Amino acid sequence: MPASALAFEAVTKQFGTLTAVDDLSFAVPEGSVFGFLGGNGAGKTTSLRMALDILTPTAGRIDVLGQPPSRENAAAIGFLPEERGLYKKMSVLDTIVYFGRLKRMEAGAAKASAMALLERLGLADRAKAPIEKLSKGMAQKVQVATALVNSPGLLMLDEPFSGLDPVNQAMLEDLIADAAKGGATVIFSTHVMQHAERLCDRLLLLARGTKRFEGTLDEARGALPFRLVLAARGDPAGLPGVMKATRTGGDGDWGEYAVEMADGAAPEGLLAHCTANGVALNRFDVHRPSLHEAFIHFVGSDPATPAGEAAR
Amino acid sequence: MRDVLLVAIREIRQITATKGFWIMLMALPVAIAVSGFASSAFAPEDSTAYTVVDETGTIGEGITERLALRDRQQELRDLAEYAERYDLQAIDPQAPWADRQAWLSEAEVRRFAEAGGAEAAVERIAPDLPAGVPPFELEDPSYVAVPLPDGVALTAANGEMGSALQAAFENDIAVDGRTLPYGAVLYIPQNFGEPGAAARVYTNGRSNQTLIQAFRDGLDGALRDRMFAAQGIAPATAQAIEGMAAPLAVIDPPPGSGRTEVMTRSLVPLALVYLLLITAVTTGSMMLQGVVEERSNKLFESVLACIRPDALMQGKLLGLGAVGIVIVLVWAGTGLAGAMYFEGFAAEVVKPSLAALDDPLLIAAMIFYFFAGYIVLAMLFLAIGAVSESMQDAQSYLTPAILLVMIPVMILMQAAIGSPNSPVVQVLSWVPLYTPFAMLARLATGVATWEILGTIALMVAFIWIELKLLGRIFRASLLNDGKPTLKRIASWVRSPGRQS
Ligand SMILES: Nc1ncnc2c1ncn2[C@@H]1O[C@H](COP(=O)(O)OP(=O)(O)OP(=O)(O)O)[C@@H](O)[C@H]1O
Ligand SMILES: [Mg+2]
Repeated sequence: MPASALAFEAVTKQFGTLTAVDDLSFAVPEGSVFGFLGGNGAGKTTSLRMALDILTPTAGRIDVLGQPPSRENAAAIGFLPEERGLYKKMSVLDTIVYFGRLKRMEAGAAKASAMALLERLGLADRAKAPIEKLSKGMAQKVQVATALVNSPGLLMLDEPFSGLDPVNQAMLEDLIADAAKGGATVIFSTHVMQHAERLCDRLLLLARGTKRFEGTLDEARGALPFRLVLAARGDPAGLPGVMKATRTGGDGDWGEYAVEMADGAAPEGLLAHCTANGVALNRFDVHRPSLHEAFIHFVGSDPATPAGEAAR
Repeated sequence: MRDVLLVAIREIRQITATKGFWIMLMALPVAIAVSGFASSAFAPEDSTAYTVVDETGTIGEGITERLALRDRQQELRDLAEYAERYDLQAIDPQAPWADRQAWLSEAEVRRFAEAGGAEAAVERIAPDLPAGVPPFELEDPSYVAVPLPDGVALTAANGEMGSALQAAFENDIAVDGRTLPYGAVLYIPQNFGEPGAAARVYTNGRSNQTLIQAFRDGLDGALRDRMFAAQGIAPATAQAIEGMAAPLAVIDPPPGSGRTEVMTRSLVPLALVYLLLITAVTTGSMMLQGVVEERSNKLFESVLACIRPDALMQGKLLGLGAVGIVIVLVWAGTGLAGAMYFEGFAAEVVKPSLAALDDPLLIAAMIFYFFAGYIVLAMLFLAIGAVSESMQDAQSYLTPAILLVMIPVMILMQAAIGSPNSPVVQVLSWVPLYTPFAMLARLATGVATWEILGTIALMVAFIWIELKLLGRIFRASLLNDGKPTLKRIASWVRSPGRQS
């Protein structure tokens, strides 16, 4: 396993009596795209803040790029906070350059990088405009640019897609994918499973401060049994790997069955067996669990709570 | 340090981009220019010309003499103060100017006038003037008697002002090669004192109160003399009665002596107190707005991911301090320039004030107190900004905070001018929030060196502690989503931890 860009070891964070993060351990491999999933109040933002040394953990150890969290790392990190805000009176370009400078860049380099990003985000013509003259989505793109201006090796984005229209969401997905291609480690939190499904190599599912799952996308889905629906001439209960078959419809000989497979048995095997042995089938639908279903399975609730952003 | 500078530069750019900043920056220069031009355009010259047309032939002379004596009296008073300030009484202990109370006695003033007035006294002092003592500056007399200009008739019969006189008033008048404003003409009719025969004063319409008062005193005196004569009182007795004055001693603080105490009668320190209040409160409010904006925008989080909260706070302070310095320099610069340019009132106040500032310790202390006071107040504003969720919220902290600063400072200023060594002033000098104000106010009248050094040490310690505390409040409140209650703020201050 490659070295980790970010590692939590038994980290706990308490606010008074409330435990926001509870004995959390995970590791983000270098160069991966890592999704931070969890419902509202799960502790995603709190975890990211601890990694940035904005909050200090009550207990446990955090490793960021091989060091304890500190601003020494600022030059290598890009951060998009969950609550967006920029200096209203500052111009777009000045804002991005300012953050580049805060992350130890030289003025010239910061400016060049800022202009390149604005170009890419379609905001180059607004470079001189003050932030207060931008739409909310545009301002958010500027804020994404402030996170990316230093071409960070570790990018932490707290709900980066909220507030963007579909075109810009796609644009941001591209940016993230490009950063990952360039070797950066990307960590982002989200409520929207589609983004995680498209982008993530690995996932962390959180619920009320505790880890429910850590692993790859396939592992997450694989942890749930898939659903198999088939239409067969006879009862498929006796076929190899089939644990249980329930007739749900059909007429006459042809019955429609919901099939539950035994642990470890793959639907491909069953299909191959049927073809080889002339078992008459006229439908064979494998329904793999979505990340959404995996989320509900692990977290025990729907990610799209009323306060969430998943309504889009 | 790099971070602190970056933040400071951003703050400076933000503040200087506001209209309020420029309005404030220009306020004083504009005020100086306006009042300077106004006073040079409308204020009377040092001397004003007047005429007494006396048909009785007896009263007018007394009035002229009385006005001249008034000038002498003022001269004597100034000269005596000058002599005491520079310890010159020993040069001629018998001279009227060797006694600071002499101007109160008409006899002494007369003696002074007969001896040749200030001109003669300056000549007398000159050979014995110690090195380094500036010469006494002679002033022009306030009023100069002139004959009625040629061709000007007083249309005395109906009491209205003739057009020729009106023109004379408007055109000023040439006296001994100088052009003086023509202030008033007093007309005393032959039958003055008889019923219905009033003296008349024609004026140029400007305020000539002293002149008119002098006319009035002279006329009253003349009437009284007549009455005395009518009652058969001998002229000598009458004069004695008129000259009678209640014994009166006026006790002023001794003008600058400068041996055991560092002292100046300079207005500069007092001016600094006001300047300090105004700049600190205005720039402080601007910064407060900025901090509240950042807080309510949750802007801090992006910034704090890059730099430490302490660096952010120090950067803000530094930026605010730099803006303050610029404002003060511009104001002081234009003030000085104004004083040099307008040879009027400003010059009379500012030049002697600056001349009195000759002690390096005093100057250093003044500058220190000014900036210490500025920083202390700026930190107060920053702290308010850090614990406020919104501008409304800030307002509710701000009002008591400003009162907390303003009321004692106002009391202090009164006390410091009236009785600089009163206990209130002494005590407030050692209360850090008020030290800069109290000490600046006291510098105007004199403070012992040990007190200066002691309070400077106190301020340094206080600022250091305040910085630490503010750092904690900043850290805790910026990172805390909850509304800062007083209890929580207190706990932030007490514990160096980051959360409540
Ligand atoms: N500064 C704070 N003071 C007190 N409690 C806090 C603070 N910040 C977070 N919490 C609490 O910690 C818990 C986790 O919050 P966190 O913001 O990490 O959740 P999240 O996973 O980011 O949720 P969301 O999806 O809504 O953004 C919540 O119960 C929240 O109330
Ligand atoms: Mg969050």
